[in-house]
Amino acid sequence: MSAETRVFVARRIVTLNPSLPHATHVAVREGRILGVGGPDMLDAFGPAALEQRFANDVIVPGFVEGHGHAVTGLMWRNPYVGYFPRTAPDGTQHPGFRSIADVVAYLRQIEAAMPDADRPLIAWGFDPIYFAGPRMTRADLDAVSTRRMVVVAHVSGHILNVNGAVLERAGFSADSNLDGLARDASGALTGELQGPAVMGRANRVTGDAGLLRAIDVPALRDYAATARRVGVTTSTDLANVLSDADVAVLRAATEADDFPLRLVPAMRAREYSVADGIARLTALRRLSTDRLYFGIAKLVVDGSIQGLTARLRWPGYHNGAPNGLWYVAPAELGGIVEAYHRAGLQLHIHTNGDEASELATEMIGRAISAYPRADHRHTLQHCQMADEAIFRRMQTFGMCVNLFSNHIYYWGEQHRTVTMGPSRALRLDACGTALKVGVKLAIHSDTPVTPVDPLFTMWCAVNRITAEGRVLGEAERITPAQALQAVTLGAAYTLHLDHRIGSIDVGKFADFAVLDRDPLEVEPMALRDISVRATVLGGCVFDNT
Amino acid sequence: MTGVPLTVIGGFLGAGKTTVVNHLLRNATRRWGVLVNDFGAINIDAALIAAHDGDTIALTNGCVCCGMSDDLGAGLARLATRASPVEHVIVEASGVSDPRRIAQYALVEPGYSLEPIVVVADARALSEQLHDRWVADTVRAQLAAAEIVLLNKIDLADPATLAAACCAIATIRPGVRVAELCHGAVSEDLLRFPGARATRFHADAPPWHEFVTWHWLPPAALDRERLRTMLRALPASVLRVKGFCRLAPDAAPHLLQFASGQWTLSPADALEPSMVVIGTPDLPHPDALTALFGKTLASSQPDES
Repeated sequence: MSAETRVFVARRIVTLNPSLPHATHVAVREGRILGVGGPDMLDAFGPAALEQRFANDVIVPGFVEGHGHAVTGLMWRNPYVGYFPRTAPDGTQHPGFRSIADVVAYLRQIEAAMPDADRPLIAWGFDPIYFAGPRMTRADLDAVSTRRMVVVAHVSGHILNVNGAVLERAGFSADSNLDGLARDASGALTGELQGPAVMGRANRVTGDAGLLRAIDVPALRDYAATARRVGVTTSTDLANVLSDADVAVLRAATEADDFPLRLVPAMRAREYSVADGIARLTALRRLSTDRLYFGIAKLVVDGSIQGLTARLRWPGYHNGAPNGLWYVAPAELGGIVEAYHRAGLQLHIHTNGDEASELATEMIGRAISAYPRADHRHTLQHCQMADEAIFRRMQTFGMCVNLFSNHIYYWGEQHRTVTMGPSRALRLDACGTALKVGVKLAIHSDTPVTPVDPLFTMWCAVNRITAEGRVLGEAERITPAQALQAVTLGAAYTLHLDHRIGSIDVGKFADFAVLDRDPLEVEPMALRDISVRATVLGGCVFDNT
Repeated sequence: MTGVPLTVIGGFLGAGKTTVVNHLLRNATRRWGVLVNDFGAINIDAALIAAHDGDTIALTNGCVCCGMSDDLGAGLARLATRASPVEHVIVEASGVSDPRRIAQYALVEPGYSLEPIVVVADARALSEQLHDRWVADTVRAQLAAAEIVLLNKIDLADPATLAAACCAIATIRPGVRVAELCHGAVSEDLLRFPGARATRFHADAPPWHEFVTWHWLPPAALDRERLRTMLRALPASVLRVKGFCRLAPDAAPHLLQFASGQWTLSPADALEPSMVVIGTPDLPHPDALTALFGKTLASSQPDES
């Protein structure tokens, strides 16, 4: 027993270990937790070095982002023009933009500093739903440049604004009377593009692959830096093709000692035939390491609620829009679910609308009834509009849920007034019902759709306050303790990793988030204001200061 | 030539789209370029394969078959720039997509001319699908987008089921041409609008030509704004307008592609002005069309109002 033992002391350690919920000292050896308790930890396991740097702080289990995308690490290669402030991987705080004029002024600055006259200027995160006044037009972006192609991508992912240079290169003119090309009263194109056909053409002329860009090691490191800064020690990358090249990048990044994150990529199952996908994922499982876990297949059943492409049950969209789209035929979903289930793999299934959640639950139920398998932990991701009956069936079938609590803040007002209406919006991301019914719960950010920040996600699930300050569905609030569980042990459970991460307990990895205040003691409204001082991954400290 | 003909083949999962595509490739008399949704389901005799490169199969009969990743537009652009050009492109839509949305790519991507939107339906399963709690609206929307319905697997449907399927199609898409077939054995001719000069006034028109065509040779340059106004007001019976015209004031040649309400009008190389209008049998009488299109001439007198 020559390995070094270190004991971290903190003002308080919130363990999520039912045998010892609170402690002050945690002993670490070989990257794992050796003991948790009080000052007795100092000599319980032989000689130990005392780490006092967190003596005045609060240690909680490292956060687990159960639904994030590593493509977040690529976003900051382009300028951010969103409404809400956002933090770059290097820790720089970017302010939000409150008007089109501010966005244009910022882009003019960037444009002036770009050395290469031909390179397109592509900005991301634009979010005009809270702006008063007219929409962005090509005239706004022509004011940035008439020569250089300028694109502003909306945070929703469903709209692009482009300047005249892009319209011209794409061949879009006043005489392109195509769906998805917005026009003003005089019939001129406004430069707003919607839908995959016209957006795809614009992306091709600018050479931007959007969110389908391949991730490299620096991008993964940038994602890890972004996630680590907010206390995350394990994150999913919830839609990765997992080609040989992708796997090589994941392995190279996670093998570096200073990589501050455990990664759980999920394979985009539809990139393969069912048989090939199962063979691929089964083979990849054997490549799992302590820092990189394979074994999850991702399926997407419908679109998004704010994009009006989620599948809803009666009465459909509040604004009367037609029902959304199936991204996979229901019968085909049943076949895919059954095949992966029988192969012993785990499914994480994207469902936004309640009809999609109902369908996925039904198909998992059929697979489980035909081929019983304990502890499968198939998980519905987002599952934003499930009601109590759907949650009850999910509980019966042993399914987990990962709810998109950040939506309550970022799009809650849209759901209340446009998509769901005043009644159904109350059950948006219904954490309270899920827990009451006994469904294993995680909550998430879906970064880069909303910023990764588990303390903020907790704040959303606990307070349920929209960006306009309104409480949406007070009865679905959960307690700070339940929310903390959801971003640690709860998320770990959905990844089949709750025996290794998610709580501070003997034998688990020494993965901690170090906070300046105790999330179980602050006012619920202050949850999002708690500072993350550091993370600890396998005993290694990554300081924020 | 207004562009490479492009036919969208839609229809719900299991209707037989891939069987249709396989049939076309195996019996090709023209060089098809096929974009398929499920590359693995394409079943080509090994003897027919000239080269197999990742997601592309080149056939000995000159056809090429490509897997479609997320970006259909990119696939179409690649096909358009091939060294050995194809004569007609088939896009197999996914079983849950709206064929109208797929068809839009043919207007957005330069160099294509949109042929009929073909929807394959399963004669045996259709009625049931139209009452399914989860897929009814999807199947209905697909049929509503159809310009030709291929009612497949009629050998598997009993007469009552077949009659119910025909009745359902007629309710959702009144007047649409329905071709009945087995094993996806489709005639190539069904994938194109009737060619030049075949009209309902033409005694020899083949019996399936339930499309009506009308030709117009613009005698002089058109006024851009009048042309736009006319296109915006065209009746639903007009499925396509395509061809070349000259626009005032400088008589610059332009290519017009109109499909069910969407259109593009783009500068073109100088060619003889000539337009073809393709419609359903409800298409206005040629005299009415002559009057309608004549109003777009720059020299015509505006209506008194």
